Amino acid sequence: MSSHSHSQIELHQIGQSFVTHQHNVHLFADLSFSIKQGQSYAITGPSGSGKSSLLMLASGLEQPTAGKVVYSNQGHTQPLSQIRSEIGFIFQQFHLLPEFDALNNVALPLKLRGDKQALTIAKQWLEKVGLGHRLKHKPAELSGGEQQRVAIARALVFNPKFIFADEPTGNLDAHSAGDIADLLFDCCREKGAGLVLVTHSDFLAQQAQHQLRLNAGKCEWLNAQQGVADTARHGNQRHA
Amino acid sequence: MHKPILPLAWRLFVEDARTVNHRVLQATQTLLMVFIVTLTLTSESVQQHLEHNMANLLGADAVVTHNGALSKDEFAYLEQTSSAVIYTQSLKTTLTHDNKWQRVSLKAVDESYPLQGQVQISDSQSEAAYSAEFAPAPGDIWLDSRLAAGLAIAVGDTLTISDIPLTVTHIVHHEPDRLMEGHNVDMRALVHRQDFSLLEFADDTIQYRYLLNADKQQIDQLLTWQQQQLLSAEFRHRQGAHPLALFWQRTENFMGLASVILLFMAAIAIYQISRIQIRREQHFSAVCMSVGASRLEGLKVSVYKWLLHIVALFPIVLGIATLCHWVIIDWLSATLNNLTWQPSFIQPGFAFGVCALLLAVFQLPVWLSLKQASVKQLVINFPHPQRAIVSLGSGIAVLLVVTAIYSDNGLLTAMVLGSMAACVALIALVSWLSLTLGEKLTQRYSGLIPFATFMMRQRIVSKSTQIMGVGLCAFLLLFTLMLLRDLGNTMEKYQRQNDGNLFVSQADSSQMQAVEAWALNQGGEVRQQKRFMYAKLIRVNEQSLDEFATRPSESLATFKRSIRMHWTDVIPSNNRLMNGQWWTTEPQGQQNWKQISVEQEVMTDIGLAIGDQLTFMVDEQAVDFMIVASHAYKPGAGSITFWVQMPSTAVRFLTAPHYFMASIETTEDSVNTLGELWQQHPTLRMVSMREMMARFDNTLSLVTQIISGFAVMIMCLASIVIVSSVLAFDRQERRKNSVIMSFGLPKRTCLHINLIEWAMTGGIAACGAMFGTWFAGILMYQSQFSLPYSPDFIWLSGTLLVFMAIVVIIGHVASRNSLRSSIRELLAE
Repeated sequence: MSSHSHSQIELHQIGQSFVTHQHNVHLFADLSFSIKQGQSYAITGPSGSGKSSLLMLASGLEQPTAGKVVYSNQGHTQPLSQIRSEIGFIFQQFHLLPEFDALNNVALPLKLRGDKQALTIAKQWLEKVGLGHRLKHKPAELSGGEQQRVAIARALVFNPKFIFADEPTGNLDAHSAGDIADLLFDCCREKGAGLVLVTHSDFLAQQAQHQLRLNAGKCEWLNAQQGVADTARHGNQRHA
Repeated sequence: MHKPILPLAWRLFVEDARTVNHRVLQATQTLLMVFIVTLTLTSESVQQHLEHNMANLLGADAVVTHNGALSKDEFAYLEQTSSAVIYTQSLKTTLTHDNKWQRVSLKAVDESYPLQGQVQISDSQSEAAYSAEFAPAPGDIWLDSRLAAGLAIAVGDTLTISDIPLTVTHIVHHEPDRLMEGHNVDMRALVHRQDFSLLEFADDTIQYRYLLNADKQQIDQLLTWQQQQLLSAEFRHRQGAHPLALFWQRTENFMGLASVILLFMAAIAIYQISRIQIRREQHFSAVCMSVGASRLEGLKVSVYKWLLHIVALFPIVLGIATLCHWVIIDWLSATLNNLTWQPSFIQPGFAFGVCALLLAVFQLPVWLSLKQASVKQLVINFPHPQRAIVSLGSGIAVLLVVTAIYSDNGLLTAMVLGSMAACVALIALVSWLSLTLGEKLTQRYSGLIPFATFMMRQRIVSKSTQIMGVGLCAFLLLFTLMLLRDLGNTMEKYQRQNDGNLFVSQADSSQMQAVEAWALNQGGEVRQQKRFMYAKLIRVNEQSLDEFATRPSESLATFKRSIRMHWTDVIPSNNRLMNGQWWTTEPQGQQNWKQISVEQEVMTDIGLAIGDQLTFMVDEQAVDFMIVASHAYKPGAGSITFWVQMPSTAVRFLTAPHYFMASIETTEDSVNTLGELWQQHPTLRMVSMREMMARFDNTLSLVTQIISGFAVMIMCLASIVIVSSVLAFDRQERRKNSVIMSFGLPKRTCLHINLIEWAMTGGIAACGAMFGTWFAGILMYQSQFSLPYSPDFIWLSGTLLVFMAIVVIIGHVASRNSLRSSIRELLAE
């Protein structure tokens, strides 16, 4: 973890807007902050506030209409695209491949990277997320909570530096959501991965070390663990 | 109820029409319908032409055709049962003039000719034709213009036949009874009966045509009489079928077989696309139900929308089919004189309706799937395995119906379908074996190839459908191309190697002696020589041939004429026994000679079996034979083979004249001296290799045009099948690509996996196609084209490599859409 302490994704004065039906919609503007490896971040806000868009910008899936997003490691900056292979995703709909069993779904990223130990490592991860007894089950034979556990194992199995999760508990009941949240934070912490998640759940958001609330184009930092609000105004840079 | 549904169906139809899936489906349906509607339009034109032809060119109310003259009693009956009767005699002969020769149909008439209509003649080649009030006088001969040009002879010149000099007095343009001989391309000549008799042709080689004026009652009476008393004769009348009708029906049936193949490919494409349709329509129906609509309303929307699609196709199909019809009629008019193009709307409308019904059967699984649509599905998407069964079932049902309707040559149809089934079975086996073994062998390894193998193995059922679609296309395309190539190469090579350069198709003993002497003089040799006698099949198991065999086929058409019957005690070296037991050389008792062996393909075509009794008319003698064996042609020992063979002892009991078939190898120069031989023996039926090749080239060019057109259709459909295979799995592919990219892997990796998958798909399909082609070649070349099959595996492999490359390229280009996927889509879901 300490070796990653200077590895971070930096968002510099980014803004996002788009045109729909001849109307210009501004989601947010002039937003700057850093996502540090090993730290956890929750993005909250009402529907349509731009949470998912911010997640996409931060993960490099989309380019901002203003500003830039870069990766910085020990003072050296490089485009975010350079570390695409170090970024993993977790989805609300899990998106496991239905033809594969749990073991092979988790082994998938390693197999694609040519790892000869793919199945062994995948098995260890499934045991870690409590599914050691479900190795040969296909997604359709697993509950929503179990599927998301498999998805978490799959996202972390290749040791990414950052994990981006979009509503990871959005499809789960309260009990399962709690378990998944614990698992997600624990695994990221253990592996030293930076975690950025979008959620509507206050419970989940409060477990993150940093909380960013988007609302009507405004961004507000909340110190979730201390319950102290800190407003990130336009042009401010927040180092969490 | 209908009012709100129709606009909704229209709205969905408009939206649908913009999707790629729908465009591919429309292209498939359009191609299929254009083919069938064009076939219908052409068929209608030809049939109308034949009916018109029949009514105007019979030259009589009824015609009785018989090999050899009828007996006095029989002729007396014709006179009693008609208001007038005349007869003509004709035979095939070779006329020579100044070292030029032409094969002709020589007709002998007298002053009573023609019975109805008028003969059109002119006084020279360049002058206009007029109606003749007379027949050729003794000592005169009338030639058709092609024959005069072929022999380089003009009006006023003398033509000698068997030392009898005849003066060319007119050029004949039209005979009113032309129909009975007009469907062949033989050149024609008319002489007076008196001269004809001087030529002393054997009576059984002469075809007698009795032209009658008769009313309907008399025609019915004559028909009954012919069927009871004169089975060896052929009877045609104004209300009956045209002699070409059967030929055309067989052509139609052959095209029907082509339709089956095209339909098969279209079915694969439609099946792939229906998988997408089912998902979409079920979802739509479920959403409708979630807002209070009934399941029936969802179904109605789907049916109306489909009807709108079909209606939209009508003008497109009609337009293209009309254009194709015009082109084909123009092409056919070279063969069928006076065949003209006329626009038609009723027939294509009907054909379109039938096609729409076929397509409705393909659509059935989509509509049936709506029965399973429920709001629950919007919550949990559960699979319905029975959909696949229904889809496959409907496809197979349509294929079986079309095959049953169109199947002409049962054996050929069975072979085509059998080869396709073998190809499918092999593809299924190779898919399963290669993917399972591939996965087992590579599971310890990592990397893109093991991963792609693993992915394909996991999706073996869906992947197999894709592979089979591509494989069947490859098979059909490869076989068509191979046939096109080999028909030219192998046939020519084979014929030259085995048959010499002269072929005698009929020679009596004195003619054969003359041929042998001529060959010896010219330094040539007689390579093969086989005896035969003519016999006409009149009954099968006590039923007339028409009653027994109702389906048209090449074999049936040939059996309506006299066939050549060979006698031998041992199985000829170019035959092999297929079924039953060949007779021994020691016949005991009188009945033992009444056994025959029939060629296997003929048995299948006519529906004969070992033990069946065939009654042949042999020189006015009805003889019952029992089928004891069936044989097939075996290449490599000469090409002269017979459909029907009997023990040599039978010859003792049959009085028919004996003839020879033979092949002769001689120098090309000596072929030019054949004129002398024909001068002495005008009825000697002999053809030089040069002429045969010229005839063959004409046939080949016709076959080439047909096969090329067919290959283009197959190529279009093959591309559509590949595209539809891609579209059917587009959703899964996009998701797979997005998931792979969510592991931090670049798009390049997805591209590589995609290429590996397509290469494997193409490779497995290619193996199946190659096997299917080889199997089809083994099955069909010998039995259907009488050709030895020697596959050129280098050519086959080369063609397949090209095909695989095309599959990978088309697959890759068509998959670009799925490669455009992104993690955003997964986030957005």
